[in-house]
Amino acid sequence: MENHILERVQDIFRDIFDSEALIISRSTSAVDIGEWDSLNNINLVVAIEKEFKIKFILTELVSLKNVGEMIDLIDEKIK
Amino acid sequence: MNAYTLKDIHAGLSAQFSVTVTEQMLDSFLTLSGDNNPFHVDAHYAKEKGFQGRVAYGMLTSSFYSKLIGVYLPGKYALLQGIEISFHNPVYVGDVLAVSGEISYISEAYKQIEIIGHIRNQDKKLISKAKIKVGVNE
Repeated sequence: MENHILERVQDIFRDIFDSEALIISRSTSAVDIGEWDSLNNINLVVAIEKEFKIKFILTELVSLKNVGEMIDLIDEKIK
Repeated sequence: MNAYTLKDIHAGLSAQFSVTVTEQMLDSFLTLSGDNNPFHVDAHYAKEKGFQGRVAYGMLTSSFYSKLIGVYLPGKYALLQGIEISFHNPVYVGDVLAVSGEISYISEAYKQIEIIGHIRNQDKKLISKAKIKVGVNE
């Protein structure tokens, strides 16, 4: 299940950052992608909400450190 | 000017206004942008190419999306974050444009809304369509 979530999140990253070659992992964070600024962070979150049909609240998001923690949060919400 | 906050907003909320395209608008946009492409500047040239006259700049008519979000939807607290626009038909001096938008998605975490915008002319022809991402900076 987690791999499936990662693949779908990777597709979102590729769309947001316009890079078909982009590969992300659980440890990927904003320091790894130059264009991952505050606006693209918002765009990522909104795209993830729509893709998985979930909603986030701000307090859930501020403590996330990397893609892996986001995937875990998505997994919790879709169960 | 409207001043919608996130709690005032719901999917489906819409707004519309109309605007008439004038020669002065095209001249002002030329001065502002420096785009002196003959399609926009020379009526004779534009007609030779099959158009009815000077073609209004796509970015000029798209500037009305700025008014849509900045004045109407959500209005005062709008912060433009992104826009994708497709252009479907030309606009000419004298055209009366209906600019409309409807909220299609609301994300509460980061207070971003998405608006689907349309611009149609007096004959109801689609001029442009836009997907607009707006922060609600209340």
